[in-house]
Amino acid sequence: MADVLVPAGPPPAPTGGGPAPALSPARSPGLSPGLSPGPAPRWRLTRRQGGSGADSKARRIGDWALIGLLVLVTVIAVLAPALAPHDPVQPIAVPKLPPFTDLDHILGSDQIGRDTLSRVLVGLRTSWLLALVVTAVGLLVGTIVGLVAGMFGGWVDALLMRTTEVFLALPSMLVAVAVAAALGPGLFNTFLAVIVVWWPYYARIIRGEVRGIMARPHVEAARMAGVGRMRVMWRHVLPGVVPTAVITASLDIGNVVMVLASLSFLGMGQPAPAPELGSDTSRGLVEILDAWWIPLVPGLVVMLLSLLSNLAGDAVRNRLAHRR
Amino acid sequence: MDVVAPPLTEARHGALTEAPAEALAAAPTAGSADVAPTAGSADVVARLRGLDVSLERNGVRSQILHGVDLEIGRGEIVGIVGESGSGKSVMSMAMLGLLPPSSRPRIDGSLEVAGLDLRTASAQQLREARRRRLGVVFQDPMTSLNPTMHVGTQVAEKAGSAQEAIRLMRAVGIPQPERRYRSYPHELSGGLRQRVMIAMAIAGDPELVVADEPTTALDVTVQAQVLTLLAGMRDQLGCSIVLITHDLGVAAQIADRIAVMYRGRIVETGTTRQVLESPRHPYTRGLLGSRLSLDSDRSRPLWALPAETPGAVLTGCPFASRCRDVVDACHTDVPALRAASAPDDAEGPHLAACLRQAELEAVESAHDRLPPLPPLPAAQRGAPLVQAADLECAFQVRDERGRKARLSALRGVTLDLQPGESVAIVGESGSGKSTLLRVAGQLEKRYTGALRGPQGADVQMVFQDAGSSLTPWLTIREVLHERLPRRTPTAAKEEQALAILDRVGLPATVLDALPGELSGGQRQRVALARATIVPPKVLLCDEPTSALDVSVAANVLNLINQLRRDLGIAVMFVTHDLAVARIIGDRIAVMYLGRIVEVGRAEDVIATPRHPYTRNLVAAVPQPGRTVLPLAGEPASALDPPTGCAFHPRCPVALPECASTVVGVQLAAVGDRPTNDVTLRHEVACVRRGEF
Repeated sequence: MADVLVPAGPPPAPTGGGPAPALSPARSPGLSPGLSPGPAPRWRLTRRQGGSGADSKARRIGDWALIGLLVLVTVIAVLAPALAPHDPVQPIAVPKLPPFTDLDHILGSDQIGRDTLSRVLVGLRTSWLLALVVTAVGLLVGTIVGLVAGMFGGWVDALLMRTTEVFLALPSMLVAVAVAAALGPGLFNTFLAVIVVWWPYYARIIRGEVRGIMARPHVEAARMAGVGRMRVMWRHVLPGVVPTAVITASLDIGNVVMVLASLSFLGMGQPAPAPELGSDTSRGLVEILDAWWIPLVPGLVVMLLSLLSNLAGDAVRNRLAHRR
Repeated sequence: MDVVAPPLTEARHGALTEAPAEALAAAPTAGSADVAPTAGSADVVARLRGLDVSLERNGVRSQILHGVDLEIGRGEIVGIVGESGSGKSVMSMAMLGLLPPSSRPRIDGSLEVAGLDLRTASAQQLREARRRRLGVVFQDPMTSLNPTMHVGTQVAEKAGSAQEAIRLMRAVGIPQPERRYRSYPHELSGGLRQRVMIAMAIAGDPELVVADEPTTALDVTVQAQVLTLLAGMRDQLGCSIVLITHDLGVAAQIADRIAVMYRGRIVETGTTRQVLESPRHPYTRGLLGSRLSLDSDRSRPLWALPAETPGAVLTGCPFASRCRDVVDACHTDVPALRAASAPDDAEGPHLAACLRQAELEAVESAHDRLPPLPPLPAAQRGAPLVQAADLECAFQVRDERGRKARLSALRGVTLDLQPGESVAIVGESGSGKSTLLRVAGQLEKRYTGALRGPQGADVQMVFQDAGSSLTPWLTIREVLHERLPRRTPTAAKEEQALAILDRVGLPATVLDALPGELSGGQRQRVALARATIVPPKVLLCDEPTSALDVSVAANVLNLINQLRRDLGIAVMFVTHDLAVARIIGDRIAVMYLGRIVEVGRAEDVIATPRHPYTRNLVAAVPQPGRTVLPLAGEPASALDPPTGCAFHPRCPVALPECASTVVGVQLAAVGDRPTNDVTLRHEVACVRRGEF
């Protein structure tokens, strides 16, 4: 039966009037359940239906370009204090200087004369690095919870998943605002507020993936071979979850950027003088009729960062999907 | 119409080639069997000439078919036989115009099916041809029927009306077609689903039905029914059938002609009798020699075609690297198909693509040259290693209507396994044979009854699908090392791993490979290496060869027999194939619906089956040159097993009391060996004890 060509799904209805054959799972948006490690790829898995959307060279280049851009943003974020031409908290220029008028302050200055470029660079650093940390920690917590729930099943699964569902049931933005408000402003508190609402998504997804892997014969075979529980979890199950986890996180990180910026916009970020994209946008908003660039520049940076991380997340998914 | 079509003349080819494609679109509608697109092509339904097909995968184009020539006459059944990778499925897809566009098929040569040139036909013409002139039966009717539609509606889509659909469903032997019309595919058994597929295929009286491994997913008794049905459809409707299969025995049952394919080429073609009785190509001879039958020699290792050399040079004869009669010339020229019989042979042309076909006829069978297996170590009698008494196992499931139901997988199984002994458990799907194995391996803990035997690492298991039983991201080294005690020094682990790889016949380079990089046979060897690196007391095997090609399967069976002798392990081997069971098992236990119905020494059970079900199983094994009389009826559902003897509704010799009496297998020792030695006893669970 293992001929190269395996008809996928139902045969095309002879009349041509039947429903279209199911698209390959890799087509579905978001978390791409088709990525679970399956048997050796067949024609139907390596190619998506429709032909034109195949893994062309142009697409490969585009994907790597996006991933490269995101890496560049990370490097810029890490080096921001060195790259920033001025001290971001000291007023050193004419207030409300428009962008591209003064080479020394290329993005202009804000309402009290601080250099916008420096503030945006340092704000980017805070936003992006915090987003990375939140995603990583959320993924870690979610993976542990999902792995334990999925592997042990029974009451452990029920307990962990019901708890997760309680968190999922609450509107995440409201909970984050409530937590941030209760803990008071500050970087660490923002981090806590977002983590509290973020891990349940990962736990849910990882748990489903673990259940799928547990049902595969290789786990049973490993048990039969006398492999210990911890090693089964660590070597026979966890590596199968990694691709899904990476893809989920990379598609998600843009949302984290937005949520962090929103909290900061609502005044629950760092206290006043610290440069932060969200709070700079919100503070500059009163000037929008007078000096539109003051709120617009940090707002645009948030938008671009979120957009870029979404696109790069898509690219990561495409690359991983095609490696299989 | 069931006359074998005579070979075609050139004049007829011409007529077909010139047939205007438009004639098809204007052809009369379904229902008239005598429709022919043009007058001259009445004798040929499909004509492939020098057909090359190449497909693209991951951006790499590879040629799948190389110059295939094939003609299918009207009313003819042509069996296409080959191992996996031979291109037989690609050929059938090409004949239906169903090659996936995403793999960018490139087709050269001529490909005419049902009067239509498939290379130039428009999508509209293709659809029309598939609707009116072609039929198809796929391997797995579960995935090829739409799960969201009533089966009747699906048949009606092709048949045109509900009345016609019901008529077809009755014609293919579906009981109560009016009621089944509104069933969903999952509510039908495998055999009935395949009948629905056949009903769809023959709707509209097609000229050609392509059946791609139509019986591979079915139980052996149902397989016999489906093959008989296909042959009957040809007799009634006069349609031609292309039967694609990996099993020469299946093709031999109903095919008029057989074409053997290897690596995208037809290497031998002729009438069924010619190919089976005087095979000329070494590959055909190898396939026939590797085929297990109920009288294969058990005292020697099974003869098997050598495995394909990976990365072999592809000039010359594609089979050269596996051929034991190879000469230098084989590596330079690709042999063309040449006549292997006298040109005036009344049966039709017999062609083979081998340089030495004339000389090879007299060569002895390789089977006789193999040394006999060493005798088994004398089994210690007395204390059984595994003792199962009255095992019962039931699961809560949902039936086809979604109601909660109790599935009784095991309904009182008593079986002993002596140290070093091998017992083959034979049964159809749903007989509980795999559940029994899982209970014995402690993978299934929801059972009642007494089970005594080794536990933990002393019980090892080999699964049906070695690919999915090996963790895809672990190298073979890790898989083997983790079976050894953790404190063992790495060097010692490595040494043991190398030793076991050598024992199972794998090179040391395999250690660094991932399972996905190995072939099916190699993976099964790795699975066996993992199971025996620390020799267990019991090896449980769950159909380890059913997914493998015959030659690979023979090698794996040899290996299991060898390991058993070398390491002195007891084997419990589950299979649906009596011929395999006979090779592996000292004893055979036949299961039906959660009970053992017959158990005894392998020779006894095969030669003198005492249970009517075993008799039918033995009779249903497809073997060249033997007519199979299919057993009527479907295997009963394990959700609602019949009372008394579960087999009585299908039993040809049932007595009235069979419906109420349950006979335990151990109560009815039969034959001339009423001995206390359990390994010699022949027992049967039948009120008639084989006296009929």
